[in-house]
Amino acid sequence: MANRRFALIAMIVGAIGVIIGGYSIAVVSNTMLTNEANIIEETNIDTNQLIIQGIDVSKGSPLLGDKDAPITIIEFGDYQCPRCDQWYLNQRPILEDKFIDTNNVNLYFLDFPFLGSDSFIAAEATYCAEEQGKYWEYHGILYENQKGINSGWANKDNLIKFAEELGLDIESFKDCLDTGRYKDRVEYNKSIGLDNGVQRTPTFFIIDNIDNSVVKIVGAQPVEVFEKTINAMLK
Amino acid sequence: MNTQTYALKLVFSNKMYLAISIPIAISMFILLSYISEFIFFEPYLTIYIPTAYIPSFITIVIVSILSSIVITMNIFKLKAFRGVTGITGSVIGVGAGACGCGPVGFSLISLLGTAGGTATAFLTNYELPLRLVSIAILLYAYYTTAKSFKSCSV
Repeated sequence: MANRRFALIAMIVGAIGVIIGGYSIAVVSNTMLTNEANIIEETNIDTNQLIIQGIDVSKGSPLLGDKDAPITIIEFGDYQCPRCDQWYLNQRPILEDKFIDTNNVNLYFLDFPFLGSDSFIAAEATYCAEEQGKYWEYHGILYENQKGINSGWANKDNLIKFAEELGLDIESFKDCLDTGRYKDRVEYNKSIGLDNGVQRTPTFFIIDNIDNSVVKIVGAQPVEVFEKTINAMLK
Repeated sequence: MNTQTYALKLVFSNKMYLAISIPIAISMFILLSYISEFIFFEPYLTIYIPTAYIPSFITIVIVSILSSIVITMNIFKLKAFRGVTGITGSVIGVGAGACGCGPVGFSLISLLGTAGGTATAFLTNYELPLRLVSIAILLYAYYTTAKSFKSCSV
């Protein structure tokens, strides 16, 4: 009896150890792979195909900011992800003020919907809004109205309601959603994320367009981390 | 001296158990903070607690400390050949909020598909209530464990 109990405790302690050890190994190996400035590869920018440092942004969002900015941020996100929402609401405005509006940084958003079917249709809806020239406005209204994952806040009816709030042509918007016109586009963007090792959202690639170095920032990190990275690149 | 204080003094007056409990608490705290995205290891070591997530962070601290106390007390109880209590609380504490946008949620959904998505949504949407349940279970586990120590001593 005592041996069985001892074995049970040993198993539990072992399981906790494996979890902690697994995370430690993952963290250490990631840190080792991304030493110093986390330069992960150096390739040239192909502006024709919109492939930046191996990341194809041609089917992503419209560019936010100056196309000639020395630094490009590529964000992978899910509209149902609470941390993406928190980052969008609290950190991105500061980033925009300091770096995007000053033409030092431009930004692409690529869909990485993995938290449920509503994530997927929400991403499709942004491109339906893009048809009417309101991609970023729609992107914003989604995050401003985010609620619990798969709670219905991003179902088709609500997506149409958001479109109405933005004054979009509803018939055209509905038709776009019904035909699933941008299903492949969203799938493609997600595949780009998977190909580039995205495993959580938000994930950012900060790309120095001058020396072609890349820093990967995983998670909804504070704007200070972005500032430090960008300032190091601008020097 | 009441039962709970007696049990705490009995276990933690022995420095070996104190030495066991501290790494458990720290490991739990780092693990929970990392998967809940309060600690980041790259590109720079960063600790960031958004205002909206302060209650979540506080529950992480409580779960870590309580888990460490309960686990250490249960290790101590091995001497008396007693059962293990309170592990459920630790597991719920780890699970709550661990999924969401993070790698745990991504892996769960990749592996289990719809079922993983449902579990992820549940664990994320009810992060705070689940952690409070976890704290309640851990407190109950502490209470029953401490009580058993008193009966052993009579």
